[in-house]
Amino acid sequence: MTTTLKIPPSTHPYAEIIHRLEAGGSMLPDTEENLMQIIGIYKAYAVPMDFYWRDLLYIAERVFLDPLPFFKYFLPQEYLDLPNHYAGETADFRVWQKGEASAHPELLEFMDKGELKKKLPKLFHHLWHDRINMEFAEACMRAMLWHQGMGGLFYDYLESEEYLGNCDRAIKAYFKGNPLMLGLYKLFPEMFYEKVRELSYYANLGLFWEVMAPVFFEMSDRYDAGEFKTVPDAMDFLVNGIFIAAGRPIYHHVYIGDQCYELIPKSKGFMWLYEAALPYVEAVFYRTAPFRGTKSYNAQAQQVPADQKDFHYGILYADVFPVGTAGIPPTLLMQDMLHFLPPYLVDYYQQYCRGEDDMLIQLGITFQRSMYNVTSAVIQALRTALLYPLDDPNPEHLRKNRQFFEAQMDRFLRPEARLNDIQNQDYR
Amino acid sequence: MPNIVEIAVSNDAFQTLVTAVTVAGLVEALQQPGPLTVFAPNDQAFAKLLPGTVDTLVQNIPQLQRILKYHVVAGRYTTAELKDLTTLTSLEGSPIPIACGDIFEVKNATAIASDIEASNGIIHVIDTVILMG
Amino acid sequence: MLTPLLLIPLLGAIAVAFLKPQISRPLAALSSLASLAWIIYLFTQFNLQSGAIQFSEFHRWVEPVGLNYSLGVDGLSLPLLALNSLLTLIALYTNRNNLERTRLHDGLILLINGGIAGALMSQNLLLFIIFYELELIPFYLLINIWGGEKRGYAATKFLLYTAVSGLLVIVGFLGTTFASQSPSFEFTDLQVQNLDLIPQLVLLTILLIGFGIKTPLVPLHTWMPDTYVEASPATTVLLGGIFAKLGTYGLLRFGLQLFPTAWQTIAPGLAIIGTVSVIYGAISAIAQRDIKRMVAYSSIGHMGYILVAAAAGTELSVLGAIAQMIAHGLILALLFFLVGIVEKTTGTRDLDILNGLMNPIRGLPLTSALLILAGMASAGIPGLIGFAAEFIVFQGSFMAFPIPTLLCILSSGLTAVYFVILINRTCFGKLDNSRAYYARVSFSQQWPALVLTAIIIYFGLQPNALLRWIEPTTTPLVAELHSSIIALRE
Repeated sequence: MTTTLKIPPSTHPYAEIIHRLEAGGSMLPDTEENLMQIIGIYKAYAVPMDFYWRDLLYIAERVFLDPLPFFKYFLPQEYLDLPNHYAGETADFRVWQKGEASAHPELLEFMDKGELKKKLPKLFHHLWHDRINMEFAEACMRAMLWHQGMGGLFYDYLESEEYLGNCDRAIKAYFKGNPLMLGLYKLFPEMFYEKVRELSYYANLGLFWEVMAPVFFEMSDRYDAGEFKTVPDAMDFLVNGIFIAAGRPIYHHVYIGDQCYELIPKSKGFMWLYEAALPYVEAVFYRTAPFRGTKSYNAQAQQVPADQKDFHYGILYADVFPVGTAGIPPTLLMQDMLHFLPPYLVDYYQQYCRGEDDMLIQLGITFQRSMYNVTSAVIQALRTALLYPLDDPNPEHLRKNRQFFEAQMDRFLRPEARLNDIQNQDYR
Repeated sequence: MPNIVEIAVSNDAFQTLVTAVTVAGLVEALQQPGPLTVFAPNDQAFAKLLPGTVDTLVQNIPQLQRILKYHVVAGRYTTAELKDLTTLTSLEGSPIPIACGDIFEVKNATAIASDIEASNGIIHVIDTVILMG
Repeated sequence: MLTPLLLIPLLGAIAVAFLKPQISRPLAALSSLASLAWIIYLFTQFNLQSGAIQFSEFHRWVEPVGLNYSLGVDGLSLPLLALNSLLTLIALYTNRNNLERTRLHDGLILLINGGIAGALMSQNLLLFIIFYELELIPFYLLINIWGGEKRGYAATKFLLYTAVSGLLVIVGFLGTTFASQSPSFEFTDLQVQNLDLIPQLVLLTILLIGFGIKTPLVPLHTWMPDTYVEASPATTVLLGGIFAKLGTYGLLRFGLQLFPTAWQTIAPGLAIIGTVSVIYGAISAIAQRDIKRMVAYSSIGHMGYILVAAAAGTELSVLGAIAQMIAHGLILALLFFLVGIVEKTTGTRDLDILNGLMNPIRGLPLTSALLILAGMASAGIPGLIGFAAEFIVFQGSFMAFPIPTLLCILSSGLTAVYFVILINRTCFGKLDNSRAYYARVSFSQQWPALVLTAIIIYFGLQPNALLRWIEPTTTPLVAELHSSIIALRE
């Protein structure tokens, strides 16, 4: 605790955690159990994420404005083989050392046989909901679309004349020879633009997760190889990953026939960090929106904040216990992760609570822990980028860091925050 | 009087910056009459960035341009003029917080040399690459 | 034909108490199953054309005193006998985990089974009293050994009240026999019609208080909430399900059947007491914070219906009264059984603490679902046995006592109020994160509730399957009541 020697200790309610962050730690306590849990869940998250990003890009680039997108979750081979920019031989920057650039083998096996472990026509797996729950990915996308103004230039661009011009060309090309849709477009252009904006967020989120999937796979591999010893090790790896990926482009290309329409060209200079990662963390980890089916809120009684920036329904505040109802996005994700848990995590869950029966909740809590660690990585990355090193000799700089950490912790002062819960191993 | 680019090229401390500006194709822009105020990170500043950050940026020119533009402000601002200001708006579009008192600080960077006059503007040398946000 | 119903549980109790725990447990279940099977056999042999006592057994025993071993059943007692054995089986499987001293526990439960069966079958007043008093001791021990925090207090209170009840019944019986100069204590030998109306009224009142304590009726109920709450779930199932029914059984058998004239005279008063019980029970239940206490008070209310129906004395209402005894026995047993599971698993009965038990993963979904169903049955939702019985009660009583009946109907709406409170607080809402690490409720803990639920639904859809056994007895019973009224008027 070098920092506290130079400036007086924090008096914040989360002082202990702030001091831990100042010492280069994570909000998640550094225990072996926590490390095992979060790495295990990163791996289980990475497999469906490998599907999410491919399908998000597929929808954004190919399905586009299909008015009846029944088969948007039926990923064509082309997108299963789509080389990840960060994995395999062809990678621009190879984060994922061992894996291939195409879809993960566990994902392919699951898509083939599903939970039933039977090879059935794809349509039956789909209708039986024995598949990857893309609805979760779309819920995240919608959270980003709905919570605007979280930094970055993406949103402003979506309102610009340039963007609308690009959209116009793509829409006209897409519905060429379809007088009905073209007529509708003439009557209600804004509706079409809004739909395309949504698709741009599909692309945005897809490109964000394209990075995260191999990062999480890599973390799991490194943990298995014994390279991670502590929770801060895992966090630091994420911080590095954030800086490596920070300058990657965010764009939206649409392929109509053989023609590529650049709705958001790479040349706009949109960056992974500013236009995707930070808004994603803000929208999905912190804000989102109340989920239908878990709890009733009365907006008149001010149970829902008036300002969108005060929304607090993300994973960091989530009450994981009332899951199990069909269609709740977190439950969908937990269901997806359940299929890909590493064996050590399955064994671990067997020992606690109701074992097999409430594994969904147990892994949900683990996921919450792991996302506190990811958020810690984001906080540390922001501190690195915008503030001062933790060992800065200047006390004034340390005080600025302290202010930043305290401001971040202020967001967890509301009673819904689970920061206190995850300090304790009994929360499971 | 030499222009901004010429000053940078002539100084050994700006090798990374010059490479980046060249790769990003911003040389011409910095030779415009301006005037411009440039917060120029020296080589140590770039070295402080986490590994991989620069590699990725060099592969993605528009993104590199954006970061570099964040270090440039339209107009000529000397330290004397900056004393009364708290923010400047960069060419990138995002604001740059300025604290110019006993110590001259640009966001989380500290100026290690200031008011270097060029024909088309002014250069302040900073010890950290500043980032938006 | 009827002796096995005494022998099986009594021999079972002795065997269970002395055998190894591994053998004693299945043996206890086996003996309650055997007596249940025997009763089902009796149902097949029961003559539906006759309202008289059937399967009679008679042996002289202690002649000087007039105590005979005289047994028999009719449509009033046979369904209650079945309920008795069924609930014994349920009680044996209530909250078995970590039960201490199982042999004594199971032995006492079988003893109670035998005692209650004996009381229901006795056709001799002295024999009835012996059985009526016999099961107090096992109940006292069950409450005092396996009860809750204040079990000592509750057990003593229970013993005092019910002993007084027994004494009053003895006084009533002796007075009736001697004053009427009946030749023996045999039920069929009693010649109450020899008495004038005034002594009849006095004797009936004594019996009413005696049985009223047991039922319990307001204002004689004060022992009951404490006892029900402190007793273990298994004990409460038996106490509420069948033991309290001895009170209403006594009212019908030794009040209505024995003193038709006097009964008719005080009927309006009885209807008022019944109605007060109903309203008092419902309103008190609404005020409770403890779910077991809430169910206990609901029991007071539902027993009131039986008194109102019995007081009305129409063919339909008496039929309804007996049906309500069975219905209430089943529903209350289910409620106490489920509340027992909830308390055992969550460690509390506090409405303010419990929440979100419907949670499919971390809650008690099946238990909650059954609790909701039990609440619906108790509140008289159609399609469940509670509705069938209460509807007959209301329909039968309305002509005789319109205003008390209307008040009863109204407060059956209050039943829905407190069950909605109970269910809304415990089953719905958000599971509390800091508490919700409840153990799983295994199927072996739950199946008795499923059995009860199946019966409640079956009789709810097919009330005739129950009523056809009762009707042959109530029809002549009510005919006699009516002829006595005509005689009285003349």
